[in-house]
Amino acid sequence: MSHDRWVAFVIAFTTTFSFASADDDFAETVAPILQQRCLDCHNEQLGKGDFSLTTAEDLIASGYLDLDNADDSYLLELVTPVDGHASMPKDAQPLSDQEIDSLRKWIRQGAKWPAQVKLHQSFVRDKDWWSLKPITSPPVPESDAANPVDAFINQALSSRGMAAVEKAPPQVLLRRVTYDLTGLPPTPAESLAFLADWQIDQQAAWESLVGRLLQSKRFGEKWGQHWLDVSRYAETHGFDKDKPRSNAWPYRDYVIASLNDDKPYDRFVQEQVAGDVLFPNDPDGVLGLGFLAAGPWDFIGHWEVGEGKLDGRIAKHLDRDEMISAVFNVFQSTTVQCAQCHHHKFDPIRMQDYYRLHAVFSAVDRADRVFAGRSAAQQRADELDRQITALQSRRDDHQRQQQDLTAKQTAPIDLKITELTQRFRTEQPQQPQFGYHSQIASNPNEEKWVQIDLGSPRLIDEIKLFPAFDEFAGIGAGFGFPVRYRVDVALDERLIDGHRVLFDASGSDQPNPGCVTINIASDRQPIQFIRVTATQLAERSDDFIFAIAEIEAIADRHNVALNCNVTAKDTIEAPVRWGKQNVVDGIYFKELTDDDAMERLQQLRRERQQLVRRSRSEQVESELRNLRDQIDAAIAARNQIPPGKFVYAAATSFDAGGQFLPTNGQPRPIHLLLRGDLRSPSELMRPGAPPLWDTAPETFVDEDHWDEGIARAELARYLTSTDNPLAWRSIANRLWGWTFGQPLVGTANDFGRGGTTPSHPELLDYLAARLRDDPDHSLHSIVNLLVTSEAYQRSSRVDPEMAALDADNALLWRANRRRLTAEEYRDSLYAIAGTLDDSMGGPSFQDFVIEKPEHSPHYQYDQHDFESTASHRRSIYRFVVRSQPQPMLTTLDCADPSISTPRRDESTTALQALTYWNDRLVEYAARHFADRIRTHNVNPNQQVDFACQLSLGRLPNELESKVLHEHLRDHGPANLARILFNLNAFVYLD
Amino acid sequence: MFGRRQFLKSTFGGSAGIFAGLAFDDLVARDGQLTQTLHHPPKAKRVVQLFMAGAASHIDLFDHKPILERHHGQPWDPGETVELFQSTPGACLASPWKFRPYGEHGKPISDIVAPLGEVVDDIAFVHNMVGKTGVHSQGTLLQTTGFSFTGFPSAGSWVSYALGSETENLPSFIVLPDHRGLASNGAKNWAPAFLPAEYQGTQIRVGSDEPIANLTAPESTFITSVSERDGLRALHRLNSDFAEQRPGDDRLKARVQSYELAAKMQLSASDALNLADEPQYIRDMYGLSSEGPGVDDRTINTKAETEFFGRKCLIARRLLERGVRFIQIWSGNDNGFPRRNWDSHENIKRDHEPLAMGMATGAAALIRDLKQRDMLKDTLILWTTEFGRMPCSQGSEGRDHNPFVFTNWLCGGGIKGGTYGESDQWGFRPLDQSNPTQVYDIYATMLHQLGIDHTKLTVKNNGIDRRLTDVHGHVLRDMVS
Repeated sequence: MSHDRWVAFVIAFTTTFSFASADDDFAETVAPILQQRCLDCHNEQLGKGDFSLTTAEDLIASGYLDLDNADDSYLLELVTPVDGHASMPKDAQPLSDQEIDSLRKWIRQGAKWPAQVKLHQSFVRDKDWWSLKPITSPPVPESDAANPVDAFINQALSSRGMAAVEKAPPQVLLRRVTYDLTGLPPTPAESLAFLADWQIDQQAAWESLVGRLLQSKRFGEKWGQHWLDVSRYAETHGFDKDKPRSNAWPYRDYVIASLNDDKPYDRFVQEQVAGDVLFPNDPDGVLGLGFLAAGPWDFIGHWEVGEGKLDGRIAKHLDRDEMISAVFNVFQSTTVQCAQCHHHKFDPIRMQDYYRLHAVFSAVDRADRVFAGRSAAQQRADELDRQITALQSRRDDHQRQQQDLTAKQTAPIDLKITELTQRFRTEQPQQPQFGYHSQIASNPNEEKWVQIDLGSPRLIDEIKLFPAFDEFAGIGAGFGFPVRYRVDVALDERLIDGHRVLFDASGSDQPNPGCVTINIASDRQPIQFIRVTATQLAERSDDFIFAIAEIEAIADRHNVALNCNVTAKDTIEAPVRWGKQNVVDGIYFKELTDDDAMERLQQLRRERQQLVRRSRSEQVESELRNLRDQIDAAIAARNQIPPGKFVYAAATSFDAGGQFLPTNGQPRPIHLLLRGDLRSPSELMRPGAPPLWDTAPETFVDEDHWDEGIARAELARYLTSTDNPLAWRSIANRLWGWTFGQPLVGTANDFGRGGTTPSHPELLDYLAARLRDDPDHSLHSIVNLLVTSEAYQRSSRVDPEMAALDADNALLWRANRRRLTAEEYRDSLYAIAGTLDDSMGGPSFQDFVIEKPEHSPHYQYDQHDFESTASHRRSIYRFVVRSQPQPMLTTLDCADPSISTPRRDESTTALQALTYWNDRLVEYAARHFADRIRTHNVNPNQQVDFACQLSLGRLPNELESKVLHEHLRDHGPANLARILFNLNAFVYLD
Repeated sequence: MFGRRQFLKSTFGGSAGIFAGLAFDDLVARDGQLTQTLHHPPKAKRVVQLFMAGAASHIDLFDHKPILERHHGQPWDPGETVELFQSTPGACLASPWKFRPYGEHGKPISDIVAPLGEVVDDIAFVHNMVGKTGVHSQGTLLQTTGFSFTGFPSAGSWVSYALGSETENLPSFIVLPDHRGLASNGAKNWAPAFLPAEYQGTQIRVGSDEPIANLTAPESTFITSVSERDGLRALHRLNSDFAEQRPGDDRLKARVQSYELAAKMQLSASDALNLADEPQYIRDMYGLSSEGPGVDDRTINTKAETEFFGRKCLIARRLLERGVRFIQIWSGNDNGFPRRNWDSHENIKRDHEPLAMGMATGAAALIRDLKQRDMLKDTLILWTTEFGRMPCSQGSEGRDHNPFVFTNWLCGGGIKGGTYGESDQWGFRPLDQSNPTQVYDIYATMLHQLGIDHTKLTVKNNGIDRRLTDVHGHVLRDMVS
C-alpha cells in the first residue's frame, strides 16, 4: 500500500470537525499525521504512556511541547529518527522528514489547535471501491457468441486487438472437463462414446457430456474439495496434542451432498452460519455448522487452561477470531480480521464492527452435537434430559440444605481434624501411581472386583488393603473404597479350587477407612489368587466406583504380591494415575506421618460421620432418597434411547470436560479490546457486522441481552442479502477460478483495497447478478454456463504473438494448462490401477497408523499398508491430520488445513520428482496396473495402447510408442506403469 | 525383492547414483527473492536454530539467580499475584546445579551446560525475552513463525524464500526433529503456510532407516537398478519431448529438470548423512556413542541424550558445508509419556540434566567445529525455546511455565558475545519491564545479519503485507555492531 494511495482515501475526521482558514495547517497537515501515526495508542481510551492526543488540552498538559523553543520540544525529539530508528511511533516506520518538518513548523507557529476539536483514530469510510458498489446487471455485449461468457471475453480480447487460439481437440477436452468436474480420468468407454457423439454433433456431444458430469456423484467429491480447501477443514484439532475429531466427517458429506444436490447458494451459506436456528427441523441445519468449527482449535487453551485464566481467555478470543475470519474471508471475500487492533487500514471496517462480530459468536464453541433427524425418540430424550437436569438441581438444593444443617454441628470436630492433619501432614508428595479404578457404575450394588495372581500357591500371613488417595477428587483419603466388600482367596482364578472367604465386610456398611490400612489375617493355607470384591460401591457425586491403592500379601514379612499379575472385572486404564497393575506396584500414599495420629484422624472422621448422620433432617433425607430414585429411573430411561448421530460443529450445549464448559446459549460479554489486548477492555459490544453497503445493518440487536441464535441468524441473512455486493461476487469469482484455473479476481479471499481488481468487472457482475437473481441460486447452472463457453474449450497452446501482449493469459485467449492436484493424482492412480473403491461418505479412512493415542497421537504414514482396501477410496474421504499432514499430498501442494486456501500452489521441486518416482503409492499402483494390463491383453502393442488410453486418455504418439515398448520389453508392465505415472503427459492437463 | 536399504547401498556405495548416471546440464539457479538485491552487505549466510521443546529453564541453565539459593524453600513473594499454567506458586526453588564462571568476563553458567563454557565468549545471551502465552503450542509457534496462531510461515521458510539455496543439491531448509516425536504443532513449525511449498522444511529423521522420505526407490518386486536407470532415461526423453511440443510453458521443462535435481539430491543427501569419514576425535567431540542411535534410553540418561543431539549437530555441520541455508534442530518431543522433553513440571533434575548435557555437548561441538572450519563467522546459531520456567517450585522438584521471561542466545554470523538484556533478581520478569526483548527483535537481528531489512521482506496474503516480524521488531544493534 503506497503512501499516496493511503492519503487519498483514509483521512476522516469526527463529524463535528470543521476548520477556520487560520487553522488550515493543523487540519490539512498536522491532524492527519497525529491521527494516522499516533492516535492508535495515544487516544482518549488507551492513553499509552499517560499521553493522549485527543484534544489540545491533552497535548498541552503533557508538557511535550516547548512553545518558546519549538525545536527543543520533547515531541520532536521522540519522533526524530537516529540511525533510522525513532522512539515513536513504537514498532513502526519513523515519520518522514516532511512530516517532522510539518510538526516543527506548526509548533514554531504556536501549535494552534482549534478549540472543541477532538481527534479520533482515523478510519476508512469511503465505499468508492469496485467490490463495495452495488452489483450492476451489465448488458451482454453485442456479438455472434451464443454464450454470454464469450461475448464478454471476446469483447475484451478484440478491444485490445487480440484473438483467441483454436479450439482444443476432443480427447483433450474430454480429459480436461472430466478432471475439472469430477477429479478423475475419463474411462476408455466414456472416451469412445464421446468421440462417436462428437463426430455427429460437437455441440450436442459437449452439452450432453457436461450435463452427465454435473449430474455425476463424482462432481460433489471434486468440488467438495474446493469448498473444504476454503473451509480449512481437517479432522484433528491441531496445536499441542493434535487430537482426532471423530465426528468431523459428516460436515464433509454434507458439503458433497449439497453440491451434488445443487442446493441454492443462499441456503448453503445460511446453513453454515445459523442453520440450527433458521432450519431447526433439518439435519443439514446442524451439519452445515461444521463450517464454523472446521478450523484449528487449541485443546490445551480451552480444555486444560480454561476461561478462569488469561491464557484461556486469549484462547477463546483467538478461537472466535478464527471463526469470524473464516466467515468473512470465505463468504464475503473480506479481511475483517485486520480490525482487531486498529480500524482496518484500507477498508471501511472499524474495530467496533469487528468486535460486534465477536458478540455474534460469543456463545458458541466447537464441539460434537447431534444432527440426526429430530425423531420422536430424540424429542423424548430431550424431554428426559430436561427432567434429569431439573431433578438434579432439586437434589443439589436438598444436599446443600443438609450440609448447612450439619455444618454448625461439625465445626468443633473439623477444627480438630485440621489441627491433626496440619501437624502430621506428610511432606512427601504423593506419587502419581494412585491405584486401581473400576469403570463407573450408575448402581451402587453392581459388583466389581480386582484379583491378584501370586504366580504359585503361597502360605500367606496377612493381606493388607491400602485405600486410595486422590488429592484432585476432594475426597482425598479413602477415595473409592467400597462401602461393603469381601476378600476371597483360592487356588484357581475362577475361585473354585480351595476357595474360601477370608474376610467378609459385605453384611453391613463400613465406615470409610481413609488412609488407614486394613489388615486381614490369613489362615496359613495355600493361596494363589486373592480377589477383593466390592459388593456396594463407593458413591461419588452422581455415580459409583471401586478404587484401591495397593494390595499386599505378606509372607515372612515380605510382600509377595509385588508386581504380580492383576485382573479385574473392569478397569479404567489411565496411566500413570490409574491402572489395575498399580495395586501391586508398591506405591501408595500415607496421608499422615504418624500411625497413631492416623488412627486418631480416622476416629475423628467416624465421629464426624455419625454427627452428620444424626444432625441430618430425616424428612430432607427421605426426600433426597426419593429424588435419587427418580433421577436413576430417568437416566435409565434416557439410556434406553440410542444416542443421536454427531457432527463436530459450532455448539452452545455439549458435555463439559476439563475447563471446557458450554455456555448453554448465554453470550459471553464481549468488549472492544484496545490494541486487541484482553487486558485493555473498552466498551461492551452488541452483535452486528460491518455496514459494507448502504442498507446493511450495523447492529443486530438493540439490547444488552440477546438470543445468540437470533444474532447468528441475522448474520446469515446479512451474508445472503440481495443487496450484499460482496457475497454474490465472491462465489461467482470462486466458480470461475475453480473452472478456469484462475479467478477473475486474483485474491479470491480479499476483494478489499489490499486485494487485486477484477480482470473482467462486467463479466463478474453479470455472473454475480445472474446467480443472485436466479430463484434457485443454482451453482450448477453457472458452472454449466462456464464450461459450455468457447473460452473454456480453447487449446492451451501458447501463441507467441498473444503471449507477448498478455503473458499471464488474464484475457483468456487460451486455456490454462494445469497439473493434476495432489488428490486427483492419488485418485487417478487407484482408478487406473483398477482398485479404486468409489463408495461414498461415512467415516474417513486413515492412511497412517496411530501410535501413542492416549496423549499426543503420532500419525505414522510410513507404516501404512497400501494393500489395505479400506484406504482405496477417493482422497476426499481421507482423514486429514493438521500437525502431521500426509507427506505425499503435501509435497504435491495440497491445501494446508490451518488456513483458508482459495487457490492451490503449483510448485515444481526436486522433492516432488522423488515423490512421483519413489513413493510407495506409485509402486503399489504400478504393480496393480500391471496386473490389469496383463489381464487385458497379451500383445505388447495392445498393452502399451491400453495403458496409454487409461492413463493419458489417448493412444501414444510415435515416440511414446517406441520408448514405452522398449521399456515394456525390457522391464515388464509394472515398470511401464511407473513411467506413465511420472509422465508430463499424465500429470498435466492440456 | 529389491529393498530400500539395499538400494541405498548399491547406489551410493559406488561413485555415482543412478539418477546421476545420466548426463544433464543447464540447471536453473535456485535464487531467492532477494538474492540479487540484498538490502545491505550480509554478515551471515546461513542459520542453525536449536529449539528446546517443552520450555527449557533459563534459571537452571544460563541465567544465574543466587537469591534462589538463599531463599530456597522459603515462600516466594515477587510482589504481585502470579497466575500459573498448571499450579499455584510454591516455595523458592534453587537450581539443583552449581553455576561456575567461564570466559573472559566470567559469565556464570550451570554445570549441566558446562561444555558451552569453552565457547561462552562467542555467545550473546538475551536474558530478557518475553513471550505472549504460557501455552506450549502458541509459545512454540511464536518462536518458530513469529505468530502464536497457525497459518504463518516458519522463519526457515522466510529465509529460504528470501535467499534461496546455496546449493541445488539439497533443500534450502532442513529440519532435524527429535526422533521420539514431533514437538507441539508438529510440522506446522516448519510449514511454509502461504509461501510456496518449496520453502517448507524438509525433515531428515536422523537415525531412522529412511531418513528422507522417498529419497530412494521403495521396496519392490519389480524395481531393479537397471529398470531404475532405463526408466529415468525413458522419462527424460518423453518429458523433454512433451515440453518441446508445447513451447512457452516453462513449467514443463522445469519438471524435467526437477528429476535431474532429484538425482543430485540423492547423492548429496546420502553423502551428508554418512558419517563414516568423520575422524574419531570429531565423533568424540560431538559425544557420539559407540552404540550409535540405538543407544539405550529406556530411562532418560545423559549418554543417550548426548548421542541423539550430538549426531544431529554433526549432520547439521555437514549439511551447512554442503550449502543448506537454514537448519532447525529439535531437542525434545511432544508431551508423551515417559517425558522426553524440557517440560519439567514434575522433576527438573531428572529431565533437565541429561537433556542439557546432551544439548550443550552437541552445541559446543558445533560452535567449535564451525570455528575451526572458518564457518562460524558466517553461520548464525540461534538457541531458543517456547518460554522459561518459574523460580518457584511446582510440587517440590518441578517448575511451571514462565512466559514472562526466558533466555535466548545467539552465536556466530557476526554476533558479538556478551549479555544483552537481564532478567530481574528472581528470573521472573525482565529487569526493565518496559524494554523486554521479543522474538521479533531476535528475528529482525537474524535477518539483518543475513543482509535483509526485516521491514522489507514482505509477502501479501489475504490482503495484508505479512512479515516474519509482524509489525514489530528492532535490530539488536549492540549485538551486531
